[in-house]
Amino acid sequence: MKKTADAVIIGGGVNGVSIAYNLAKRGLTNICVLERNFLASGATGRCGAGVRAQWGTEMNLRMSMASVRMFENMNEELDYDDDIEFNQGGYLLLAYTEAGWEQFKKNVALQKAHGLQVELLTPAEAKEVVPHLNTEQLLGATYCPTDGHCNPFKVTDAYAKAARRLGVEIYTNTTVTGIERDGDRIQGVHTDRGYVSTPVVVNAAGGWSQDVAAMVGLEIPTHSERHQILITEPVEPMQRPMVMSFHHNLYCQQTPHGSFIMGLGDPTEKPGYNMEASWQFLEEMAEKITWLLPPLRHIRVVRQWAGLYNMTPDRTPILGPVEEVPGFYLACGFSGHGFMIAPMVGVLLAQSILGQKTEIPIEPMSLGRFARGELFREPSVV
Amino acid sequence: MRITDHPILQFEKGPKVTFTFDGQQLEGYEGEPIAAALHAAGIRTLSHSHVKKRPRGFFCAIGACSSCLMTVDGVPNVRVCVEKLRAGMRVETQQGKGVLR
Repeated sequence: MKKTADAVIIGGGVNGVSIAYNLAKRGLTNICVLERNFLASGATGRCGAGVRAQWGTEMNLRMSMASVRMFENMNEELDYDDDIEFNQGGYLLLAYTEAGWEQFKKNVALQKAHGLQVELLTPAEAKEVVPHLNTEQLLGATYCPTDGHCNPFKVTDAYAKAARRLGVEIYTNTTVTGIERDGDRIQGVHTDRGYVSTPVVVNAAGGWSQDVAAMVGLEIPTHSERHQILITEPVEPMQRPMVMSFHHNLYCQQTPHGSFIMGLGDPTEKPGYNMEASWQFLEEMAEKITWLLPPLRHIRVVRQWAGLYNMTPDRTPILGPVEEVPGFYLACGFSGHGFMIAPMVGVLLAQSILGQKTEIPIEPMSLGRFARGELFREPSVV
Repeated sequence: MRITDHPILQFEKGPKVTFTFDGQQLEGYEGEPIAAALHAAGIRTLSHSHVKKRPRGFFCAIGACSSCLMTVDGVPNVRVCVEKLRAGMRVETQQGKGVLR
């Protein structure tokens, strides 16, 4: 293991390896990624794999639009020997309440102002996009054809391979046990495999970001929350877009392989690290999805699992340096959409760490926003 | 040859009924697994592998292996080794991964 590094990234999820690649690409190659288990073993590999730009705040919108463009060219950009499987079948978002529909209109106005190709649809038009959709009680929908689905394992692998080619060391099965400081400033990282001296530490620890922050005495307003997913047997392609309802708190998409992948948010879920799959989820998911997409009555579930959302009070990530701890950077609190913005997170964190001008101002997404009371209030999260 | 004793599944052999296999009329006994009726009628190919399209036959016979997934009365991926035969059933060889309607 390295004795000294110019930066250490804690967390081998998609954001950790994206940051590592982007730092190395910009010349900072004496760096390493520390991962307790294996790459993508946390939220990345457990996520619903959706990629959308249909967000309700300018920051999430800009981050995700830029990331979609990067996913489109990622195989080439990273010279990947495989395929990240980016499939742009669109996202169909459903509105069931007047308040929800009004919010959609505002979102679409904002999205269009930023140049996103997105439309407000009547229930009949929504049924043209997804013919097997039950449009009962539906007030309207929004549809963006460039949203889609991508393989989180492959994206992580693509970034990791590209980073390694540039000289980045990635240590899996390596647990961070402490962070050394001299005064406030970062000095190095203790692991169960030795000590690495470094002036820069990036906290990309996903569901465990608050624990890593605590290692430098920092309390951050993130908490982890279990979210569950199931996947079915494959059938022939029949549904191109992701179907998502904030009212029912669910999403469902058919993967290129033919399986349907779907998840549900549970408002009663307590903060914690529980990643057990529950039968209650299976029953509720089955009941809701067979009402919304009736042909799914005849499909069988093959597997279910859970992962952690790392939530922030305004459901927007925390990015960038921490004023109180020089050398300590945050890339956490992704609130369930860390995978889809990882390409841009990597660019912004690398630029920030290297003291370059960031493509999108990241100060508004800093930890300091909570003390200043400048929250985003993202309305569109399942 | 007809499967009458199954080491795990219990089924009653009911009255003789007719059903169709890919449009062809066949006979079987109500309550026996669809696969038993197909086997007795000499049908050996139940499905095809997804990638190389190789024929797949009666294999695990307990609903675990996916070798006998067929479309029954329009529903894809029915495990015919554990699904009981009823009069008038429409059993079809599945195209690809099965079409959900």
